[in-house]
Amino acid sequence: MLRLRFHGRGGQGAKVASRVLGTAAFLDGYNVQDFPLYGAEKRGAPITAFTRISRENIMERGVISDPDIVIVIDETLLSDPKAMPLSGLKKGGVVFVNTPQSPLESKERYSITDHVITLDLTKIGLDMIGKPVLSSLAAAVASRIAGIGEDALRDALEKELSGIISDRGILEKNTEAALYCYDAVVPVQMKTTESIREGENVINIPFETARVSSPAINATGNTPLRRTGNWRVFRPVWDYDLCTRCMTCVARCPEGCIQVNEDGYPYADYENCKGCLICARECPAKAINDVREMHSQSEEGEL
Amino acid sequence: MGKEMLTGNGAAAWGVRMAEVDYIPAYPITPQTEIIETIAKWISDGAMDASFVTMDSEHSMVTAAGAASATGVRTFTATSSQGLLYGFEMIYTVAGWRVPLVMVNVSRGLSSPITLGPDHNDILAIRDSGFLQIHCETCQEVFDSILMAYKLAEDERVLLPVIVNMDGFYLSFTREPVEIPDVETVRSFLPEYQPEHAFFKPAQPMAQGVAVLGGEFYSYFKYQMHLASKNALEVYKEVCGDFEQKFGRKYRTIEEYMLEDAEYVLVMTNSFSTLGKAAVKRARENGLKAGLLRLRVLRPFPDPDIKNALKGKRAVAVIDQNISIGKGGIIYSEMAGCLYNEINRPLLLSFIGGLGGKNISPEEFELIFDKMIKAEDTGIVEAPHLLYTENEWKEMAGLKEIAGKG
Repeated sequence: MLRLRFHGRGGQGAKVASRVLGTAAFLDGYNVQDFPLYGAEKRGAPITAFTRISRENIMERGVISDPDIVIVIDETLLSDPKAMPLSGLKKGGVVFVNTPQSPLESKERYSITDHVITLDLTKIGLDMIGKPVLSSLAAAVASRIAGIGEDALRDALEKELSGIISDRGILEKNTEAALYCYDAVVPVQMKTTESIREGENVINIPFETARVSSPAINATGNTPLRRTGNWRVFRPVWDYDLCTRCMTCVARCPEGCIQVNEDGYPYADYENCKGCLICARECPAKAINDVREMHSQSEEGEL
Repeated sequence: MGKEMLTGNGAAAWGVRMAEVDYIPAYPITPQTEIIETIAKWISDGAMDASFVTMDSEHSMVTAAGAASATGVRTFTATSSQGLLYGFEMIYTVAGWRVPLVMVNVSRGLSSPITLGPDHNDILAIRDSGFLQIHCETCQEVFDSILMAYKLAEDERVLLPVIVNMDGFYLSFTREPVEIPDVETVRSFLPEYQPEHAFFKPAQPMAQGVAVLGGEFYSYFKYQMHLASKNALEVYKEVCGDFEQKFGRKYRTIEEYMLEDAEYVLVMTNSFSTLGKAAVKRARENGLKAGLLRLRVLRPFPDPDIKNALKGKRAVAVIDQNISIGKGGIIYSEMAGCLYNEINRPLLLSFIGGLGGKNISPEEFELIFDKMIKAEDTGIVEAPHLLYTENEWKEMAGLKEIAGKG
């Protein structure tokens, strides 16, 4: 059985990617199970999705803790202590990272010992679809690594995307970009060992008083500790020659991330700006540009 | 139509579409909402001919479902967890109306603390209401059970509502291949509902769901519900026979997995049974005669089938994915009640596992088998054991630290 785990941020398409792969494998004649883990998540928050592909009956359910293949749709998650995309990856497994970096650079940057494949899906999405749409592209990469046929992928894209994309032109662009990614990945002969999982220690849990065991939080809020700057695909950059200091951007920023410097010009708190670009849309002087973020080349990527 | 990759929720919606339901009152709740969203879209697109009404609460929703069913139309509704509890009063009420509506519950742990993962305290809370209960392991079973549920509920010998249960996330959001038959075959299995006792006809007025004062009257009505529920065991067998003939898939009140020659038996319900089966397979590879009994029909409780299946077994471990606070596992008590008067009854052990969707690891299953063997050696059966691992305890400690409980 092949076990794949997708890591992305809410809105990037990890769930759809796992479904497209699932359908492609199903159409290719495999037993398949796919499953996203979400609930109270929001746009930008870390999301995982899973696909199991097997010739045999699948006697597993729930999260995949020992994947053969990990698909990292958002590179910044590799530095997120909570998301931990590489956890449990089997020896001999494959990691795909959506990044402009080379596999070697990624391996070094994130200390990955397993086989790494990289491709700049975000750039391909922007160039070929006109948007940083990643679901179909990640599905294509995953299908290639998992050894799923191109025809099955093509049919799966049609089946899964036609229900959520009504514009035929956009659907075709998605398929074209996905097939480009499919061909861009060099397939690997993957040989994962059956996972040598460390045995769990089963315990009896003791009584603790309600002072400890009630679902109440006594600590002060820690939300400010979680920086959201690495959610950005685009960074707003001000052109002070055009800026009239009208303060529209300051008023419109939903996150309160724009402040004003000594000279009265606005600037963003890039540690927390999520890159929604409402400021750029609202700016009457068109003084705010969007610049693609390259987290792997910036320090914010490691927030 | 053949096989499609469908979530449990998608399979439920297809079941409703294929059963050609007339009326769906709805109220959203995670992880159920996808069912009513899917149905609403089909009705909006013209793919399904039914009335869909969004209600102000689950209390109103269950009332509307019961009332609609009492006019003689085929009715469906769905909820989960807190929603089921919010409609709790009307669950008992509409069951007493003896109306054959079918409902889906997508299991989710109950507050507090509020959560999203599955366990069965929600569905088991309505255990005594009069609703028949079918619990599903796979997405295919969700689809099949909805068709079977209507046939069962609408039978003259039963006329009680049915609730079909699936686990949130583990089935509701998990896609698996599901076979969708053609509508003609479904019609031949489940013809249009012909109401005999509860319908709306101006020429024939009636008052339904009336009050009775006096225990002798009240007892009569309640006991009739009990008898109808017991009848359902027999009717269910007929429905299963018919279903197998039409669709080729075989169901019983219980599922026996490697049970025939088994000495040590796990008893489980719903989607986690898949994990139990894998554990049984591993135990067999290690030379232990393990088996699994999955309870599919929980109301009516299939006492005769259980007694028969567990005859001569050495030890049985019930894994309850629920907790009756202050007692232990709910199904354990039911199993004990079922087996107590058997002459060669097996030792019966109690485990609580999978609360709020907690995984049950291979080692936890191994512990269960070890404890069964130990109980057999010593004759001593320990108190209910919560399945929990050291790593989970460490994670809990981390959470407590963040919460300032360190």
